[in-house]
Amino acid sequence: MSTMLKITDLHATVAGKEILKGLSLELEAGEIHAIMGPNGAGKSTLGNILAGREGYEVTQGEILFNGKNLLEMEPEERACEGVFLAFQYPVEIPGVNNTYFLRAALNAQRKYRGEEELDSVGFLRLVREKLEILHIGDELLHRAVNEGFSGGEKKRNEIFQMAVLEPTLAILDETDSGLDIDALKIVAEGVNRLRSKDRGMIVVTHYQRLLDYIVPDKVHVLADGRLVATGGADLALKLEEQGYAWLEDGGIATLGVDSAAQTVNP
Amino acid sequence: MSDFSTQLASALPEGSGSGPEWVKTLRQSGAQNFRTHGLPTRKDEAWKYTGLGAMGQNGVQLATGSSSQVSDVSNPKPLAESGCQVDMLDGQFLEQTGNPQPGLTVLPLADALHQGVSGLQNLLESLPGPLSGAGSSFGFSALNTATLDSGVVVHVAAGTDAGRLSLTWSTRGGDAPLLFNSRVCLILEPGAKLELVEQFESMDDNANGSNIVVQAIIEQNAVLHHVRFQQESENAALITRTEIAQHSDSEYAYYGFDLGGGLVRHDVHTSLLGSGAKSGINGAYLLDGNRHVDNHAKVDHVAPGGFSDQYFRGVAGGSGHAVFNTAVCVHPGADESEARQSNANILLSTRAVVHTKPELEIYADEVIASHGATVGQLDELAVFYLRSRGLNEQEARQLLTTAFCQSVSDRLGDPVLGGVISQRMMDVMPDAE
Repeated sequence: MSTMLKITDLHATVAGKEILKGLSLELEAGEIHAIMGPNGAGKSTLGNILAGREGYEVTQGEILFNGKNLLEMEPEERACEGVFLAFQYPVEIPGVNNTYFLRAALNAQRKYRGEEELDSVGFLRLVREKLEILHIGDELLHRAVNEGFSGGEKKRNEIFQMAVLEPTLAILDETDSGLDIDALKIVAEGVNRLRSKDRGMIVVTHYQRLLDYIVPDKVHVLADGRLVATGGADLALKLEEQGYAWLEDGGIATLGVDSAAQTVNP
Repeated sequence: MSDFSTQLASALPEGSGSGPEWVKTLRQSGAQNFRTHGLPTRKDEAWKYTGLGAMGQNGVQLATGSSSQVSDVSNPKPLAESGCQVDMLDGQFLEQTGNPQPGLTVLPLADALHQGVSGLQNLLESLPGPLSGAGSSFGFSALNTATLDSGVVVHVAAGTDAGRLSLTWSTRGGDAPLLFNSRVCLILEPGAKLELVEQFESMDDNANGSNIVVQAIIEQNAVLHHVRFQQESENAALITRTEIAQHSDSEYAYYGFDLGGGLVRHDVHTSLLGSGAKSGINGAYLLDGNRHVDNHAKVDHVAPGGFSDQYFRGVAGGSGHAVFNTAVCVHPGADESEARQSNANILLSTRAVVHTKPELEIYADEVIASHGATVGQLDELAVFYLRSRGLNEQEARQLLTTAFCQSVSDRLGDPVLGGVISQRMMDVMPDAE
């Protein structure tokens, strides 16, 4: 296994306020890491910084993606290099057809990688194949990007885009928020089908519920801008039982998880 | 009066031309109006943001008489296939090709004036109508009437679906830039149907001006779809006015696309004279460089139960200057009318300017009316969303601005023609700065 993503001592501010205060994380290809933590811990900030959204200023630290300096790349370069952010709030784009948009995006990425662009027939074939794998209907194809979509449809559309674009690193930013249990299962099943030894995923979530369906290799707890604990999938269960109060009352030891399976970050 | 108006007035022919007496009288009244009021100035409320200085400075002169027509000129290729096509060069009827459907009559205006066409006299005499007013605001119409001779007359017999008629306009470069006047008269008898696709494209970068008036009478249950697409050179001046009279249960749908032109002014005005008449006035304008595009749309609800929907989208980049004025007047007795007005604009540069103003006057009962006007920038979050999927910044912005304008071509409900226009819009989409 090789390190796909290496985040070292990341500090970042949003509108002058420091949100990330020295976050370090390593992700190997083929792994799924979950990042959990209380509100305001900086979970979404991490996803936005990885995707290159404006307004997030990195003041210290570095991010290497497959050995390349990610922070120097434009958002579209990151996408073309294989980074994909499934948005917490997917953006509605009236007038832009979902299929047209996705084909333009895929072809931009293929062009970047020196691959031949797909014509509409080839693209449609690919789309049908992905829809079948994800068990979703084709009704989203003909509509404008996310316009008038329900919460579940928007999240499903993100997963569908991910399936078509086949990123090497996918960041799912609270993809479970606002979903009912059925929509959650569909989304989780989609993610599981995209699991592969070459693909890394970071699942940012507030609740353990999603991790019943997407079993992570590692769970990190992000609090006040830093990863304060890292463990296996069972760490998420403990968090579900006990909440985050332990952060203030004496640290990870009070959670009672097997200390050999986790590291506690000083 | 401006020097330019005085110069044009002095170039008007002395006599009242040929044709029947009523035509001569009409020309005389037009000439008299023009000599009295001249062209509009910025003192006219409706022309506050549109000055004509550029035309005067370019030394534009009034084109008079019929110019010798040259055979090696070809007009722009029509945007879409049509059963019948008329090419207009320098405001004059050049040629007609294709096979008009039975019931469709297309004639050069001069021939129609001599032969007489049912309803033509009433139509011509109705301009400026009681709802349109007079004075210098209507100076271009007065000038057009004073020189009434060139143009085209289209008559669609009752109950006939005449299909699509393409009308292509172009002007030719000469020694000095000229102002060409031309008139289009459309008469749709009860239950008739016509799609008119007007297309204005410069053949070169001459600084000619065109002053074109389109008049239509749409009788009961008749339907007129009117596409006006212009991609003139950045030196050209295009002044057009569309004046529609709608009778009961008739339908008028207008789709204007301004992709070019240096100085463009278009007035589109429809009067819902019969009950249950419907009109949709749609337009998109895309500006960059120093171009100036002014659209004035107005609907008069005179009879009850009418429906109107005005929908305009604009994108201004560079030092482009767009003006949009949308007006609705619901007259006394026009109860249970419904009127919608929507205008949204995107500014792509800090130097571009958009003036947008909705006007709404209601003097009737049980009226449903809505209006909205916005000027803004592209949604940066949407730009980021597209970039995060791999499109570069320019592609992302172009896709968003095109989509914004495409909502107008989508309204055409014709994927072929709408697709061609949408592609043309994408090709000229101004860049963000």
